[in-house]
Amino acid sequence: MKSAAASLWRAIALPLGTIVAMGLLWEAVARGAEISPHIFPPLSAVAVEAWRVGPFLARSVLRTFIETGLGFVSGAAFGILCGVAFALVRPLERALFPIFVVSQTIPVVAFGALVIIWFGNTILSKVVIAFYLTFFPVTVNTHSGMLSVDPQKIQLLRAFGASAVQIFWKLRFPAALPTVAVALRLGISLSLIGAIVGEWFGDTVGLGVMLIQAMYSESVPRLWALIITCGLLGASLYAVVAVIERRVVWWRTDA
Amino acid sequence: MIRERFLPLVVSLVLLLGIWEAAVWYFDVQVFVLPSPLAIAGGVVDEWVVLQKAVLATLNEALTGFALGIAIGLVLAMILVLVPPLETALMPMLVAINCVPVVAYTPLALIWLGIGPASKIAMVVIAVSFVILLNALQGLKRPEDAAINLLRSFGASPLRIMWTLRLPSAMPSLVNGMRVGIVRAMIIAIVSEMLGAYRGIGWIIFQATQQVNFLQVWAAIAVSSAASMVLYLILVWIDRKVVWWK
Repeated sequence: MKSAAASLWRAIALPLGTIVAMGLLWEAVARGAEISPHIFPPLSAVAVEAWRVGPFLARSVLRTFIETGLGFVSGAAFGILCGVAFALVRPLERALFPIFVVSQTIPVVAFGALVIIWFGNTILSKVVIAFYLTFFPVTVNTHSGMLSVDPQKIQLLRAFGASAVQIFWKLRFPAALPTVAVALRLGISLSLIGAIVGEWFGDTVGLGVMLIQAMYSESVPRLWALIITCGLLGASLYAVVAVIERRVVWWRTDA
Repeated sequence: MIRERFLPLVVSLVLLLGIWEAAVWYFDVQVFVLPSPLAIAGGVVDEWVVLQKAVLATLNEALTGFALGIAIGLVLAMILVLVPPLETALMPMLVAINCVPVVAYTPLALIWLGIGPASKIAMVVIAVSFVILLNALQGLKRPEDAAINLLRSFGASPLRIMWTLRLPSAMPSLVNGMRVGIVRAMIIAIVSEMLGAYRGIGWIIFQATQQVNFLQVWAAIAVSSAASMVLYLILVWIDRKVVWWK
């Protein structure tokens, strides 16, 4: 029990301590080194600016969160479906998988303007970009996870008369889950990037919109407030995915 | 071997482009919605001089940042492995920096470093070095304690163990990180150029969007995709050559 408490202490206090130390160091350097606040504002100035734009910031976080969430969920679902299909139907894999790989070397964001034309300047166009960034890693990992199953285990189940459907649900899909989970953690970060970049191409609310506005008005304190907000949103989303993963894939934590 | 790998790619690409071309022609799709592959190819040929200059500028930024990012990520990983207390102290900070979606730093990079190549290289360095750091850390820690203790019992210094045991066993995950990193480097360079630059593919795309010249947008996308695909294939090839024992 004591060791558990100690490890909890290590897991929470140490990072927290470092982050607080970082904040203090930031404040001290920014004030002490007499750098122009236009280049490197002290943390307190950033906090004041964040408070000033608070309501708009809150609405932007909510908007970007919804875009990211929708893009992530649809992208993950589509990616898992594709990965399963590729693993089960080999001709499909040979025909389509290379195209999937090629599609990922395309700078998606370059399509931002086109996506806006195709889907209108609505929330849907940002969701589409987030979706596009998410589905690929999920497809790849589902595919490789499904193929990583020990063929002897499949033969064993088959020898006991298990149907293909049973083998899928009892063996192949659970075996692929840890690999899928790794891709989901990557996907949620990419989804957030997609949502933010999608907002650059035109909208009125959202973290990406605020970043652009802060850049054009050269407000470095607001940029820092937005960077930190983006980081907090990214970390929270990542934590949610990690917690769900630990619940679902409880039998393996090393993946 | 090569035929087996590339034949499906070529066949499916040709099929895809064929369907695309036929669909655009059959449904009479407007250029601003979706130009046909042949029209895009024509656009690439027509504007080759401009596009070539732009793609070279972008490649220059992406590859410089990529090289710097690898160096920084790898050296940092080696230092963290050699001095474990540093890892405990620095990791939370690095994770905090990495929690921020990398594109959120772009406006700040543009204000700090201007709209020249420096801001794009800095962005690529941030994006690449963290991927490399994480992959290198994982790889450097892979050798088993027994192997490390064996070398140590023969009097090998930590640096020597790093060079003869840890680095070689980190190669597979390092090259893996590079493969992820190279595509990311191109994308980040282009994204940064779209927000502010005076040359490069991203800048061309931004300009063409403003002028409602969507054929040029597609031509620029085609050229940059081809460039990043070539880079990716080079890394796949390096992966085969260097990490042959995998």
